[in-house]
Amino acid sequence: MTPAGAWTKALAALLAAAIVIPVLAVAPLAFSEQSFLQLPPKDWSLRWWSAFFADPSWPRALLTSLEVAALSCLLAVTAGTAAALGLPRLGRRMRTLAAGLFLGPLVAPVIVLAVGLYALARSAGLVGSTLGLVLAHTMLALPYVVLNVGVSVAALDPRLAQAASGLGASPWRAFRTVILPAIVPGMLGGGIFAFVTSFDEVVLAVFLAGPNVKTLPVRIWEDVRVEYTPVVAVAATIMIILAIIGSAMARLAARRRA
Amino acid sequence: MSAVAFRGIAKRYGALAALLPLDLEIASGEFVSFLGPSGSGKSTLLNICAGFTEPTAGSVFVAGRDVTDAPARRRNIGMVFQNYALFPHLNVFENIAYGLRVRRIAQAELERRVEEALRTVRLEGFGRRSTRSLSGGQQQRVALARAMVIEPDILLMDEPLGALDKQLRKEVQIEIRRMHVARPRTTLYVTHDQEEALVMSDRIALLRGGRLVQLGTARELYSRPVDAFVARFLGESNLIAGRVAALGDGGAALGADGLAAPIEGFAAQGLRVGEAACALIRPEHVRLVSGGQPARIVERIFLGEIAALRLALPGGVELWSRLFSSDAPAGDEVEIGWDRERVSILPETS
Repeated sequence: MTPAGAWTKALAALLAAAIVIPVLAVAPLAFSEQSFLQLPPKDWSLRWWSAFFADPSWPRALLTSLEVAALSCLLAVTAGTAAALGLPRLGRRMRTLAAGLFLGPLVAPVIVLAVGLYALARSAGLVGSTLGLVLAHTMLALPYVVLNVGVSVAALDPRLAQAASGLGASPWRAFRTVILPAIVPGMLGGGIFAFVTSFDEVVLAVFLAGPNVKTLPVRIWEDVRVEYTPVVAVAATIMIILAIIGSAMARLAARRRA
Repeated sequence: MSAVAFRGIAKRYGALAALLPLDLEIASGEFVSFLGPSGSGKSTLLNICAGFTEPTAGSVFVAGRDVTDAPARRRNIGMVFQNYALFPHLNVFENIAYGLRVRRIAQAELERRVEEALRTVRLEGFGRRSTRSLSGGQQQRVALARAMVIEPDILLMDEPLGALDKQLRKEVQIEIRRMHVARPRTTLYVTHDQEEALVMSDRIALLRGGRLVQLGTARELYSRPVDAFVARFLGESNLIAGRVAALGDGGAALGADGLAAPIEGFAAQGLRVGEAACALIRPEHVRLVSGGQPARIVERIFLGEIAALRLALPGGVELWSRLFSSDAPAGDEVEIGWDRERVSILPETS
């Protein structure tokens, strides 16, 4: 490969800036002294951070977000791993059909899902409940787990399980000692994707949230519509930090797999 | 009581018959190779014995016990795979210890047995190594140790040398043979390599198209093959195609265009007068005999101590001969012959 020329590098830098600047622009706003959003801020302070933690609705939204993300991540990893392990055992036609179904939420317009889920959740009495949000986010996160674990399962030598059972291991023991260690990196990667997917999801959450159960993105959305103070920037900054941690962990998991 | 017995074992995949009903008994401590081309059913037979493949019909007995419906883990088998199938996240020691841990062997006893297994495969001091840091030959020896350490009733090997290069093949082949001689275990060994089967086996089961064609010692298969397929599969052979001219008293005569006189020899089963057949004469049995049939040396290949000669009879029939350093150059006219007892008249397929 020939080394990139000056123009190519400049273009790449421009693109990177276009992607990163809007994200990073939020951070200085969070440390602004003013009551309105202006870039760059005239004076610096931590007043909006104290405001964030002084109003109990903000930390509660953050905790709700973390709770929903953790629970849907757990559910998605469990169900997605089971699906990824089961898919190769199906016949070709069933496998294609089932794989299509599992990956559906990835391609279906989220707003359509939201409308449908809202109707379903209402009749089940799940609107405004943590469980409703968790189930909805699990559905969105499932494809990432199925895909990630699927890669690990595909790379798994079927002879390993045979070797284990030949040596006397029960199916459960063979799974625990031979298959699980091989697919843990995939589960980790898929889990992080699942967590992040839930954590910054806003469309489904807007539909399914209630007065007592609001995720952080929903709270931001509400605030932006009425006040639009730098507290929003604080919330956004917290989300960015968590997202960076999450993607760093995903990279680490991917490296362990390789 | 036989160590392993297959009774009417058969396997179909839909309309495809992978294995036709087959009976086979293997004695305790015997090393039996399943030899055949790909698609002959040899691996299917091994996998049925291991419990990885369910037979469509018939029963499998191990040490007198009907294990047909028993899962692999209840058969007490030691399995060695072509691709080693070592557990990648475990080191050499833990790979070998796996079956012992399943059997809840006490730690001290377990360590003793793993160390002994490492010694047996000449990998002392490799216990803490990762399996990935080992060569293919070493990995296969770890797989051998892992299979043997559980003291299996039978040792099953599915083309264990298939993934190794030629030099390592020889090395591990000799290693397996050495261990078998030192401590005979009932072993079923799948291979498509005739030389491997000849070197290692007490008996060879030759399969073709899901059928057991011949079962016997290497010597029996080599000198008295049941048909031309077996003759071709094991060792070098001259096969002269013709028709059965005469039959009787355990012998037969084969007539063919280009032969001055019919070739006489031992008659295999299933011959009929007038039908197509082959005469088998192994190259080492074609000798230079004064007063024999006239032949011309067409080609001469130097093989070190011996030479391979391609000989043409006046009628055009060609034969290979192997001779200790004959100096006769190509183009020479010679006289050749063979012992009648060394010749077999065989059907094309039995």
